[in-house]
Amino acid sequence: MAPLLEIRDLHASVGDTPILKGINLTINAGEIHAIMGPNGSGKSTMSYVLAGREGYEVTGGDILMNGVSMLEMEADERARAGMFLAFQYPVELPGVGGMSFLRAAVNARRIEAGEDEVDQLEFVKLVRAKATHLGINDDMLKRAVNVGFSGGEKKRYEILQMALLEPVLSVLDETDSGLDVDALKIVSDGVNLLRDPQRSMLVITHYQRLLNHIVPDYVHILAGGKIRRSGGKELAFEVEESGYAGIDDAA
Amino acid sequence: MPASTMQPNLDQLAGLTGVRAGALLRWQATGWPDRRAEQWRFTRLSRVEKMDLRPAEMAAKQPAAVAASLPDNAVILSFSNGVLDMAGLAALPGGVTASLLSDNDAALAALAELVPAAHPISNLSLAAMTTGLHLDIAGTVEVPIILVFTGDDNGVSAHPVISVRLAHGASAVMAEWHQSSVGLSAPLMGIVVGDKGRLDYAKVQQESSASAHLAATGLKLGEGSVFEGFQISAGGQLARLETHIVLSGENADCTLSAIYLGRDKQHHDITTNMNHAKGHCLSNQIIRGVLDDSARGVFQGKVHVAPDAQKTDGQQMSRALLLSRKAEADAKPELEIYADDVLCAHGATVGELDDTQLFYLTSRGIDRKTARSMLITAFLDDAIDSITHPALADMLRPVSTAWMNATPNAGDL
Repeated sequence: MAPLLEIRDLHASVGDTPILKGINLTINAGEIHAIMGPNGSGKSTMSYVLAGREGYEVTGGDILMNGVSMLEMEADERARAGMFLAFQYPVELPGVGGMSFLRAAVNARRIEAGEDEVDQLEFVKLVRAKATHLGINDDMLKRAVNVGFSGGEKKRYEILQMALLEPVLSVLDETDSGLDVDALKIVSDGVNLLRDPQRSMLVITHYQRLLNHIVPDYVHILAGGKIRRSGGKELAFEVEESGYAGIDDAA
Repeated sequence: MPASTMQPNLDQLAGLTGVRAGALLRWQATGWPDRRAEQWRFTRLSRVEKMDLRPAEMAAKQPAAVAASLPDNAVILSFSNGVLDMAGLAALPGGVTASLLSDNDAALAALAELVPAAHPISNLSLAAMTTGLHLDIAGTVEVPIILVFTGDDNGVSAHPVISVRLAHGASAVMAEWHQSSVGLSAPLMGIVVGDKGRLDYAKVQQESSASAHLAATGLKLGEGSVFEGFQISAGGQLARLETHIVLSGENADCTLSAIYLGRDKQHHDITTNMNHAKGHCLSNQIIRGVLDDSARGVFQGKVHVAPDAQKTDGQQMSRALLLSRKAEADAKPELEIYADDVLCAHGATVGELDDTQLFYLTSRGIDRKTARSMLITAFLDDAIDSITHPALADMLRPVSTAWMNATPNAGDL
C-alpha cells in the first residue's frame, strides 16, 4: 500500500527564488511527523506548496497522497481529497459568517464523497459540541470568520475546522506561534483528539515546546530548503539545546 | 438645432403647452449632453445617440411577466413601453390618490423643479412623457407600491414621469422595478417627503442587455423626515441612475445606498447630488460596485452643505471591486462645504479580491467559484445590510445573488 504522503525530491520557487531544493519525506498512515527549522528555512513555503497555494511553483519532484500525484490539483481539490492546512496566520473574512463558512467547507467535502449535505440543525449541534472542547463560545461562532478574534482564538478556530473536516493529512503551520501556555494546551489537546491510525499529521514548528504536547513519531530538521537530519522525537530536544547553527553548517 | 436633437424623433410632439413645451424648447436647445460637460465626462451617450428611437405611444400587446421576488402583498402599477396600465390604479391602497400629470401642469412644474433645469434627459422625458402619474400619499400606507416597468419594442424610448408627494407625517414603501427591452428607458421621478414623513424606497434596474437606462430622480425631504433608499443597477448596456436630493428641513435623515453589478461591456453610472440646505440633517451613502469582463462603473457623488446648514452629518463611501483586468471603475466624490460646524466624510476605493482570502477559503475545500461568490457577497452585504425594510431587502437580495450565479467565467482576477 502506498504511504499516505510521499514527497519526492520536491523543488519549489516563489517568483524566481528557489526555496525548496529537493525534499524527500514519507509519512505513513497514523504517523505524526514534525518539521523543525530556523526562520527562512522554507517551512511555511513547504506548507503552502503542500496545500497548493498559487504563486508557489513546484519546479521539480512530486507530492503523492495515497499514491496519487497532487501537483495538478488546485487547493480546493486537495482539501476535498483530505488535505488540511492550519494556517500560521489565519485569515480574516469580514462579512463571511462563521457558520455558513464552516457549513460550506463541510458540504464541499461531503458532496465530493457523494454524501448528502449536512442538516442545518444537526450541524449547529455538531459545531457547538466540538467548539466547547476548544473553548470557543457561541459568540465567536456567530461572528464573521476570524474577525475580532485574538491570536489564540484564531488558532483554536483552525483546530475546530480541522475537527469538522476530519482530514486525512493535517499540516499544522507554526500552530504554537502566539499562544500562551494555556492556549497551547487547549490547542494541543484538540489536535491529540484527532490522532487516529488512519490519519497523519505534519507539524511545522520553530520551537520544541509544541512537541511536548503533540508528541511526534519522527522529527526532521529543515534548513536551506532541504531536510538535513531526521530522527525520533529526541532530535527535537537536541535542537532545543544546541540550536540550528550546527545543522546549517553541516549543510 | 443641433443634429443630435433629431433623436429621439420628436416630430410627434407638436402642439405641447405649459411645462412640457418649455422642456421641449430646452431639449431642442441643448440636445444630448455636451461631450465636454463635466457631469457627463465618464458617461458618454454616443451609443444612445446613434439609436433610431421614437417615444413610445402604446403598451406592448403582450404584457411581459416579471420574474421577481416582489413582496406578496404589494400593489403593482405596470408600465409597458413607459405607458401605464390604468387598471392598476384601482388597487391602490387607502391613503393613496392617483391623478394624471397631463391634467395637472402645476404638479408637473413642481416635479420639474426637483431636477436641474439644464438636465437634458429630464427635459427630454418631460417633453416626450409617455405617461405622467401623480401619487398623493397621506397617512400610513404599509402596503408596498411597486412600479414595474416592462416593454418589448427596442425602437422606442420610454419616458414615464412620476411624481410622488407624501403629506405631513405620511409614510409609505415604494419600489421601481425596471425590466424592459425598450431602446431607451428614461424614467423621471420626483418625490417630496413632507415634514415628519417617511419613505422606504428601492430601485432595481434590470433592463435587457441592449437597452439604455437614463434615470433622473429629484427628491426633496422636509423637516424631520426620513428617506431610506437603495438602488441596484444590474441590467442594460448603459445605465445612469442620477439622483438630486435636497434636505430642505432640519433633522431630515437620508440614506441613499447603491450597488452596481457589471459584466460584458456594460456601463453603470451612479450619480448623486446631496444638498444639505438646512442644518442638523443626516445623509449616508454606501456605494458598492462589482465589475467583471470589460464592464465599467462610475460613481459621482457630490455633497453640498449650505452656509447655514450647521451640524450637518454627511457620509459617503464608495468601493469598487474589479474581477477582471479589463474592468474599470471611476469615482468622483466631491464635498462642497460652506458651513463651519459639520461632520462630513467621503472615500472611494477600487480593489480586487484578496488572494489570501481566496486561498483560505479554497484550502477548506470550497471551490474557487463559490469562494469568490462568498467574498463578493460579503462585499455587497456591506451596502445591502443597510436596508432596514424587510420586504424591500427580500426583494433586492435575490437580484445580486442571481447576478453572481450567472457569472459564466469567474473573471481573471
